Amino acid sequence: MRLYSFALAVLVALVWSNTSMAQTSAKAHIKPDDWQAYKSHFVDASGRVIDDANGKISHSESQGYGLFLAYLANSKADFDLIWSFTRTEFLLRDDGLAVWKWDPNSKPHVTDSNNASDGDILIAYALILAGSGWDRKDLTATAKTMIRAIGKTNVIEAQKQLLLLPGVTGFSATEREDGPVINLSYWIFEAFPKFAALDQATDWNRLGKDGLSLIDVARGGPRSLPADWISARTVLKPAKGFPPEFGYNALRIPLYMMRAGVTDRAQLEPLRHGMSPDGTNVAIVDIPSGAATETLTDPGYTIIPALVDCVLDKKKLPESVRSFQPTLYYPSTLHLLSLSFVYAQHPECL
Amino acid sequence: MKKSTLLVLPIIAAFAGLVAVQLDYVPALATTNGSVRLAMLESSDPPPDAQADGSYVVAQSGRAPKTQAPKPAAPAPGAATAPKVDETALRYFARQGDKRRLEAEIARLRALYPGWTPPADPTSVMPQADTALDAMWKLYAAGKLPELRKAIQERQTSEPGWKPPGDMLQLVELAESREQLINASDLKQYDTVIRIGSSHNSLLTCSDVDVLWRVAEAFAKTDRVARAKDAYGYILDNCTKPEERLATVQKALPLLSRADLDALLAREKTNTDGSKEFDSIRNDLARKAVADAGSDPKLAVSPADMNRVEKLANDIVEPSDPLILGWYYLRRNDPVSAEKWFRLSHDRENAASSSQGLALAMIAQSRPAEAEATIYEWRDSSDGAKAVYMAAVANLLAQDPPVEIAPAILQRMVPEVMKAKDANAAQQLGWYAYLLNQFETASGWFSTALLWKPDDEPSSYGLVLTREQLGDTTGVADIQRRWAGKSDRIERLGELRNTRQRGLVPSPERFGTDTSTESQPVTQPTTNPGAPATALPQDSSVVAANPLSTTLAPTLADRVAETIARTGAQPQNSQNQIEPVQSAPEPRRTGPPQQPTVNTGQRASRGCTTTIDPQTLSPGAALMRGWCLMDINRPLEAVAAFERGLLSRSEAAKSDAAYGQSLAYLRAGLADKAAVAASKARQKQSRQIELDTALLASRATDSFTAGRYNEALLALDQRARIAPERNDLMVLRGYAYLNLNRLSDAQRVFEAVAATGSKDGLRGMATVRAIRNKEY
Repeated sequence: MRLYSFALAVLVALVWSNTSMAQTSAKAHIKPDDWQAYKSHFVDASGRVIDDANGKISHSESQGYGLFLAYLANSKADFDLIWSFTRTEFLLRDDGLAVWKWDPNSKPHVTDSNNASDGDILIAYALILAGSGWDRKDLTATAKTMIRAIGKTNVIEAQKQLLLLPGVTGFSATEREDGPVINLSYWIFEAFPKFAALDQATDWNRLGKDGLSLIDVARGGPRSLPADWISARTVLKPAKGFPPEFGYNALRIPLYMMRAGVTDRAQLEPLRHGMSPDGTNVAIVDIPSGAATETLTDPGYTIIPALVDCVLDKKKLPESVRSFQPTLYYPSTLHLLSLSFVYAQHPECL
Repeated sequence: MKKSTLLVLPIIAAFAGLVAVQLDYVPALATTNGSVRLAMLESSDPPPDAQADGSYVVAQSGRAPKTQAPKPAAPAPGAATAPKVDETALRYFARQGDKRRLEAEIARLRALYPGWTPPADPTSVMPQADTALDAMWKLYAAGKLPELRKAIQERQTSEPGWKPPGDMLQLVELAESREQLINASDLKQYDTVIRIGSSHNSLLTCSDVDVLWRVAEAFAKTDRVARAKDAYGYILDNCTKPEERLATVQKALPLLSRADLDALLAREKTNTDGSKEFDSIRNDLARKAVADAGSDPKLAVSPADMNRVEKLANDIVEPSDPLILGWYYLRRNDPVSAEKWFRLSHDRENAASSSQGLALAMIAQSRPAEAEATIYEWRDSSDGAKAVYMAAVANLLAQDPPVEIAPAILQRMVPEVMKAKDANAAQQLGWYAYLLNQFETASGWFSTALLWKPDDEPSSYGLVLTREQLGDTTGVADIQRRWAGKSDRIERLGELRNTRQRGLVPSPERFGTDTSTESQPVTQPTTNPGAPATALPQDSSVVAANPLSTTLAPTLADRVAETIARTGAQPQNSQNQIEPVQSAPEPRRTGPPQQPTVNTGQRASRGCTTTIDPQTLSPGAALMRGWCLMDINRPLEAVAAFERGLLSRSEAAKSDAAYGQSLAYLRAGLADKAAVAASKARQKQSRQIELDTALLASRATDSFTAGRYNEALLALDQRARIAPERNDLMVLRGYAYLNLNRLSDAQRVFEAVAATGSKDGLRGMATVRAIRNKEY
């Protein structure tokens, strides 16, 4: 498997070959031009990854994605740029985790010290990748500290399942009537085997396994989709205080599953079917009614159901999603993560 | 440059429970040229004490130890082998004229390489031709650390084999850590601050005192005060910039105890003009001590601090220091001193705060008219000022004895009361009108007070009395119904009076006697009339929350009630009343408090004139209140207080409560209940006799009044067995015989009474004679 994907990557690298590729190692799964375009839109000179649809704030998730993409683009310089900012501006918490939000318009920029576990997981995962890929022991050491802290403060066992709390504060059974509340799109499945190799204090593989089964159990409503925010107090149901919808959070779940190697039709097909009523575009779906409250046409979103078609049925990706044009931070990020997956593992879909 | 001492300070050495510290290096020495460094003891050095948390070791290089036993610091790696020192950063800063960074870098290199001496003129060295490297140092100098990281990586990629100058990566890492530490400190992530500080000793130097402050703060905020103290002390021992030294103590002010602060202050230097470096701090500390004590009377202030602030208040012509003193004295129930300081502040600046304090001090000295005049112009400046104004108004109206208030003042008070919807002040206006016999007006004010505070018992009491004056019996009954079971004095208004009337026996009409005996049915309140009617609001916040104790009202209310009791009860009898029977003996107590203090849980109120639910009091406090109520002749309320007192765990107190309750019932004319009360706890024999005597007297009187003369005689006989018969009771006995037509017995008794010089005796003899004459 490993050899196979390595060979594919070489192949892909050859396909891209142009002058700038000369410096890029075979590990690059994001085209330099695409990375350049992404950077110029969403990464500023100080290494801050900007969520331009949310008041130009940054968060641990955007920094984590930035590090992850820089690694996938095999750009050590950009990785160091983003990491320097991330470390000094986000890695501030006493427990060793990142604060979740950084606002250019407030002083100090960080006003809420809570964390977001998906941001922490993304950062730690990118650090592991860079640490081993580029032989950077300092990065691996930091990753290890973070992983241990995530496991200690954000992973809990409830009803015989391991759950990932979205943050240290505000989601537990003691803090909310319908707690614990979870967000299944915070399970970045591909990270957990790597975490397990570095940290034995938490059963990371079990967390991944339990997460996959939770996705099945959480599906509901006419379109059989999971909600973004779910109460796991008794039977899974949409959490109070959040719209009961399959929304911008949950739509990345199939991408994370596929990137982690899930190919099970029974797991992927319902999501693919539910999230795309017209077969192409992605819908934000009100779970109880099954109604699409919004239709998303950005290729960063529409590439996800197309990717399921590719993984399950070897269908080629439609032209509209094959090339990358930066739009907004979030879909553009998902787009590059999707493309890098195709280049690395499913070139036959191109 | 002055050669200075070398210090190794393990302030970070033993952070219990923190992550193990990884040191890049352990500096052996930290020489200074104005910058001194905290370095870490090697872990092999045992901490000076088991706690390993409080002390540090000062080591010196080249001189005798300064204080404690010096610990030899670990040699720097490679120090012995004259390492190649990377001076690129230093030369760059020198060329740029960046003196601050140049100095910091020299300090850092000296710490790292003890044998190294900086180049005499770093700028004289020919600049390198490496413009890319210059660009990197420029990024470093600008604090653009991520960009520098990126530039290093880019060059390493574009120039395989290129390595950044030796110390560049270390410098960036250090600078990043500094950023991280400061951000964590801003976010109060103190463990992170300490974690970074502990692993980056190079950050802890006099050239960057801000970082030292933040680490010290992190220690203090995480219950490691001893280490915080060490850190501040380190700065004072080693860092020289005057403004930073002063700021160091200021930073420590809110974090360390006074004792620790005093220890820091002791490290002060003497200025060239002979003044002490930290005089201003000592002033602030003294001010803070007095100000704190001004809000918490339990805090003690040292005489030195007190003198300092008083001197400051006198010497510096500003309003703030005397103000601190004013509040201090006000809080300590010394309104005279408080007034003096408030007045000084007020004279310097007529401001809301000093006016408020001054007014409160005046109220406390029973000068509400002056208080009203002082605070009037500031009444709208804050809620607190408004509350003080209302307190002045209420106290002015409630003065005892009442004083006439100038119409102009009254006129300006009324709209304020209306605006503030101040129920208490409205109530006082009610009493004021009441005393002027303006019952309609009084009724209006009491009703208004009740509109604003519907459950206000004193206002309801005022209203019920007023309605009675106005002959509104339906209205009286209405209020009584509403307060049934909730206020004895309202519910039993008429009953109380009836008992009193019943006590006035024998009926003069019946026997044709005339009275000349001065009667005094109601005891005068024994509370100190000079005491301020209100408990003093202790500070502005309390004033805002609760402008005025309800203790205000009752002094006047009681007096009015008392007047009513007298005037209302007397008309039928005033012409010809005698008072042969005292309804109850005055309690003879051994050492009762003359001014019982009732703790209401909020503030001490003087006396017991407030209407308080005794259930809220401790049994002990209720007992005191019971006696106090007896003193001001409110027996029915005393009954309730004693009832609460009966719950006392102490047998003596319980006995006292039963005794008191029994006396209270007796005084209220409720002999049956008095008998029951007396049996609620075991009494000492003397008290038992006293109670029995009183009970029998009461029973005799009641029986007589009811026309049951034999029973009256029986009670008198029983009483005579345990106590000598008083003249008034003998007179009663005489009339009982008379009514039973036992004229000889009556004659004998009246003669005996007359023999003591009693007019009642003579009058009885005359009556016997008259009847005999009629018969014969």
